[in-house]
Amino acid sequence: MSKTKFLSPGALPQWLSELAAKATVYAPRREGRAVVYRPHIEGEAPELALRPTESAKHVLFPRAEALFSFTKQGEAEKSGRRLEVQEPAEPGPAVIFGALSCDARGFLSFDPVYEGSGTDGEARDPYYLKRREKTALVVRACKRPLSTCFCHWVSGGPASGQGADVLATEIEGGFFLQAFTERGDALLDAPSLAEATAEQRAEADKAHCAADKAMGEIPDLGPAQESLLDLFDSAEFWRDRSAHCLSCGACTYLCPTCYCFNITDESSGLAGVRLRSWDNCMSPQFTLEASGHNPRPGKSARLRNRVGHKFSYYPKIHGGRFSCCGCGRCIKSCPSSVDIRKIVLDAIKEVGHV
Amino acid sequence: MSMQDELKSAVRAALADCDCVIGWGPGPEVLRRSPLFARQEADADLFRADFQAVNNPALFLPEYKGRKVGVVVKGCDARSVGQLVNEGLIRREEVHVIGFPCDGVIDVGKVAARLEGLCEPGEVTSLREEAGAVVLTHPGGELKLEKNDVRADKCGRCRFPNALDADLFIGAPMEPSTGEDPYDDLKALESRPYEERMAFWEREMSRCIRCYACRNACPLCVCRDQCVAVSRDPHWLTQSDGVRDKLFFQIIHASHLAGRCTGCGECERACPVGIPVLLLKRALSRRVEDLFAYRAGIDEGRPPLLTFSLDEPAIKERHW
Amino acid sequence: MSVLAGKELRIVGFLCNWCSYGGADTAGVGRFTQPTDLRIVRVPCSGRINPLFIMKALVNGADGVLVSGCHPRDCHYAEGNYYARRRLEVLKGLLPVLGIDPRRFEYTWVSASEGQRWQHVVESFTGQIHALGPSRRLPAAPELEALLSRAM
Repeated sequence: MSKTKFLSPGALPQWLSELAAKATVYAPRREGRAVVYRPHIEGEAPELALRPTESAKHVLFPRAEALFSFTKQGEAEKSGRRLEVQEPAEPGPAVIFGALSCDARGFLSFDPVYEGSGTDGEARDPYYLKRREKTALVVRACKRPLSTCFCHWVSGGPASGQGADVLATEIEGGFFLQAFTERGDALLDAPSLAEATAEQRAEADKAHCAADKAMGEIPDLGPAQESLLDLFDSAEFWRDRSAHCLSCGACTYLCPTCYCFNITDESSGLAGVRLRSWDNCMSPQFTLEASGHNPRPGKSARLRNRVGHKFSYYPKIHGGRFSCCGCGRCIKSCPSSVDIRKIVLDAIKEVGHV
Repeated sequence: MSMQDELKSAVRAALADCDCVIGWGPGPEVLRRSPLFARQEADADLFRADFQAVNNPALFLPEYKGRKVGVVVKGCDARSVGQLVNEGLIRREEVHVIGFPCDGVIDVGKVAARLEGLCEPGEVTSLREEAGAVVLTHPGGELKLEKNDVRADKCGRCRFPNALDADLFIGAPMEPSTGEDPYDDLKALESRPYEERMAFWEREMSRCIRCYACRNACPLCVCRDQCVAVSRDPHWLTQSDGVRDKLFFQIIHASHLAGRCTGCGECERACPVGIPVLLLKRALSRRVEDLFAYRAGIDEGRPPLLTFSLDEPAIKERHW
Repeated sequence: MSVLAGKELRIVGFLCNWCSYGGADTAGVGRFTQPTDLRIVRVPCSGRINPLFIMKALVNGADGVLVSGCHPRDCHYAEGNYYARRRLEVLKGLLPVLGIDPRRFEYTWVSASEGQRWQHVVESFTGQIHALGPSRRLPAAPELEALLSRAM
């Protein structure tokens, strides 16, 4: 669990081919102005210069997946009608290549929820867990933060290996690769990789230190959990924070930690598919009740939920861990520049004043 | 008094009889401003109307119907205000419009392309304006960019840089820099065979994440929480991740905007994955202008698809 | 079915109840032979036709869509077809940019007495669609494949 290797840039295509021989490899690709994770195509160089627009969560948690498909058999009038159910194919092994540290840490927020923590395993989610088990993460360390990055506020770091199977650090003439898990060791067991030297390890350590140093100060988010609860009923606070929010789903759908879904049946005639698809608390339908009543009638209540969930309700039941990995995608890609950091800090400040 | 100072006093004055004033203030990144909602005089000092004043504040007006609000607008934003008034979605007397001459706004995607190899846009630490240019500071030094090279595409074809029908206009009106819209973007796509055009949409839409930022950023998308895209009955769209559903939503959006879209381009700018969704709306705007000589947000009268005439001189029906 | 054997194409018709559906009926009663590619959906009025009906058909694999209503000035509801004319004419401007040949969609006016005209319209439009051949279809979502393959 501590194998180290060295990857020269010239050997990258070969390593990717070696990985792709055993698993579906997802790598960042530039498409238009965006960088998205796509199944790797032989011979294509992954986009490693820019940070991915989206997170890699859809590899483990697809935007839409068939839980099963069904066909109704027989005549409706007769009592003999049967429902035939087909399960989907088992997911195969996968490797997410070139994810960021924050992406890997995002799955750590998913895990307890889908493992059914607090339910004695009753709410275990086999769909997610099967993929989780079969997916390895090759993470690349960041060198410099964007102005929207704040992984260090939420116990992460630009070169954190948390949740990663392999951490790749750019050093002189290539990448220093370090495995953190047995799965990672297996990925590094590849002919295209060279043994790493002690100097290379030292250089990687130095790069990590430099990256950590570039992150800036860390505010105390300790009071966040209580402050957000205290402000739950403060209509004015949330009105002002959400005034410019569009109530779209860009933040949640790009977020590596947002795990909510919807389940719908899509049918045609006697056949149908039960789909699980992404859902988000910014959407009015998320809480719309069958009666027509909506307990979160407007964007201020929805934004309050998003922030509250990440920095208060989730930590409360998951040992204090924020459901936020600090990747900043929700800020960077928000069409209206809503800044979750500012909301959390404002909340702490607001309550501190009272 | 500089235009920015004029703006601040205009906002301060407007607050006397407005619930709030909507404009642009500091954003989370150097290159991007955030819409600002001023409720107190002290907020007025945060207002800016400049190259980064990208968002369309007209978007928020229908929420405030029944209350008087002030809004700071560029030329394109003013056309959205005009169209909202025209359709009765807001009341003109409830809006205090503060206009200014707009020199175009930044397209962060274009800046990103110019920064390639140097850094990402989020690493820019400062921006200052010089005559017709912006100078960015980044970890490796400075980069001077001509505004013309990094302006949004819509600005290059803008014929109304000064807000129409403003209650108060600050700064000196400027001349539009261009004539008729040549629709070069549409022509480029239309010069390719049909199969390639559909393949283009298939490729572009495949990265759609169905966040509906395009819809929610659209000032004329007024159904808000009642959108047919999320209705289960009628069931226009499935919850799948397929391009058919994704493209079909764009068709819904464009067709509901036909003859109403003012071309502010917020749908396309809001798209987190950069899908050129404005093209479809432009195709319909061009069609509506050709058929009915109507430009949304500029021409008076009912939007052409909400009315008819017995004889349609521009419509050449097929004779079988 | 001959559709699946490739001899027929999928053409969807939206016909108003009062004129064109009657016209198609008149053609049938008069035993005017017609190609059988067209599948007709009867609607109350051409003004009821949401342009999205047409787009939904085309995006989901129809090779052609034909709309027919009452002649202008003859609408059962006085003005439905005037609104329809504007909407349908505008819609034609959207097809090319999507990569759909605009000839795959036509609209026309056929009255209840015009059986022969209906036969001519169907023959011409079907011929036009056959000349264009099957349309290129956007792929279905993989997670819906099970549904679509069994729904056939």
